[in-house]
Amino acid sequence: MGKIPPSFRSAISTSLIRNPSSSSSSSSVTVAPVEKPAWRRPAKLKPSKKSSNTKVNHVVEQPSLFKSPNLSDAKALFSSLFSSTKRAPVDPNSLLKSYFSISTVQDSIAFLNYATKSDPSFSPDRSTFHALLLSSCKADSATLEPVHLVLNLMINKGLPPNQVTVDISVRALCSLGREDDAIELIREFALKHSLPDTYTYNFMVKHLCKTRALSSAYNFIDDMRNSFDVKPDLVTYTILIDNVCNSKNLREATRLLDVLRDEGFKPDCFVYNTIMKGYCMLSRGGEVIAVYKKMKEEGVQPDLVTYNTLIFGLSKSGRVKDARKYLDVMVETGHFPDAATYTSLMNGMCREGDVKGALWLFEDMEAKGCEPNSCTYSTLLHGLCKARLLDKAMELYTVMKKGEIKLETGAYATFIRYLCRSGKVAEAYDVFDYAVESKSLSDVTAYSTLEGTLKWLKKAREQGLAV
Amino acid sequence: MLPQRMKKAIADNPKKLANLIDLVNLPSTLREFVGQSQISHLGCFMRVWSYIKDKNLQDPNNKNMINCDEKLKSILLGKPRVDLVELPALIKLHFPKMPK
Repeated sequence: MGKIPPSFRSAISTSLIRNPSSSSSSSSVTVAPVEKPAWRRPAKLKPSKKSSNTKVNHVVEQPSLFKSPNLSDAKALFSSLFSSTKRAPVDPNSLLKSYFSISTVQDSIAFLNYATKSDPSFSPDRSTFHALLLSSCKADSATLEPVHLVLNLMINKGLPPNQVTVDISVRALCSLGREDDAIELIREFALKHSLPDTYTYNFMVKHLCKTRALSSAYNFIDDMRNSFDVKPDLVTYTILIDNVCNSKNLREATRLLDVLRDEGFKPDCFVYNTIMKGYCMLSRGGEVIAVYKKMKEEGVQPDLVTYNTLIFGLSKSGRVKDARKYLDVMVETGHFPDAATYTSLMNGMCREGDVKGALWLFEDMEAKGCEPNSCTYSTLLHGLCKARLLDKAMELYTVMKKGEIKLETGAYATFIRYLCRSGKVAEAYDVFDYAVESKSLSDVTAYSTLEGTLKWLKKAREQGLAV
Repeated sequence: MLPQRMKKAIADNPKKLANLIDLVNLPSTLREFVGQSQISHLGCFMRVWSYIKDKNLQDPNNKNMINCDEKLKSILLGKPRVDLVELPALIKLHFPKMPK
């Protein structure tokens, strides 16, 4: 690694590691490998929770008919809409939901009662109450009192709360940072009505992992196990392992893996991918391969994410040759390498100073019909700058500009610096303009980078170090 | 060489960020150029830079130099020629650090 300046390494690792956590939609190298465990859960969520979620969205998207949360105004509007003999084509349910979203819980309940009385044909259904529940969870109250109010109302109307009810309230409470209340509610529901389903349970665990110390998630799991015999499933363990891996606590991850086996689960592809990602973050190439071999031994079929993670990890830890080998293995086993695969590999090559190899790979990639993304371009631009091939870098930049491909922060900063260093200040300004115009990065970041670089250049000139 | 971490730090530093984007009451010289009484540091830089581009004030032989016109001269310390390298520093002069 002798010829690679340390700042380069830090540049790559910070820019690549930070991205996945901050943005899920951007197409950075690591996003694909890291995101997998995350999308798995939402995808699984859909079948059972779809009804509840659409309801919730419905409330939010509703263009508010009601201008003020004033109860008498609302009553008047309701009467005017429904008292006329010619019924307006308005669904009383959506009308109510629209009111709930802006009003207080007490007023909402009063309005609901008024609506049922004045329009006998209308009877509130579960979704109406769920909308009400949602607003009660968001009510400005330190206790769960408004929530209980609504729940009692539901029971009185003959609609006992079900698993969707608890899920909605838990998610609402968690989004407001009221985890303790959410846990209390889950306990209460489990005692009185129904046990939380796996989605609610896993959501809670994931949320606790994200916002609290790991011990609080463990406490929750133990509590649920001891009091209600609700056991964590494989997804729960994946969440936990993902969490400990993110905090670089691989020892705990290994322990969890043993626990998981003792519980009678067989680790699947997602669990292995998560652990592999953990080792990638620590740049431990050997361990990454060990996980891969272990997977093979256990008969778990590696998927695209596995290979992407593997290649990313090996490139990151400087074992580009091995990474290259696995690209071939990947193709042999019938997977199509995507932009993330190629970009990881290119990144590794650039780091070793093998820009030619990276350029060759870039051509190979396009020849195979794989569309490069902004991260691919940025990686290459970075590599070209570092290899002092500024002409090539300018060429690539022109292509990027033509294709309206966004620049990434690290590549932008490097490019600006190398342009300034070789006296091409006007070009640097041009890049700055493009970065702002294409909204690649915020104006402030773009400007402060440019300003900082120019300041450095001025100083260097004064000392006679630069042209 | 400017370390990468420092760049990141600039973007993350809320104080620096505020200095760049907060609106500032302008001195009379700048007010005339900008045409409004308040502008942020960043906005001012953008304004001056786009002014230079619009009027083609970059030296055709050396793109790195600006040949100032009268209007530009008034805000850039009266210099007839300004290096692009110095531009941010010159504009910064109009935005002195606020005493706490």
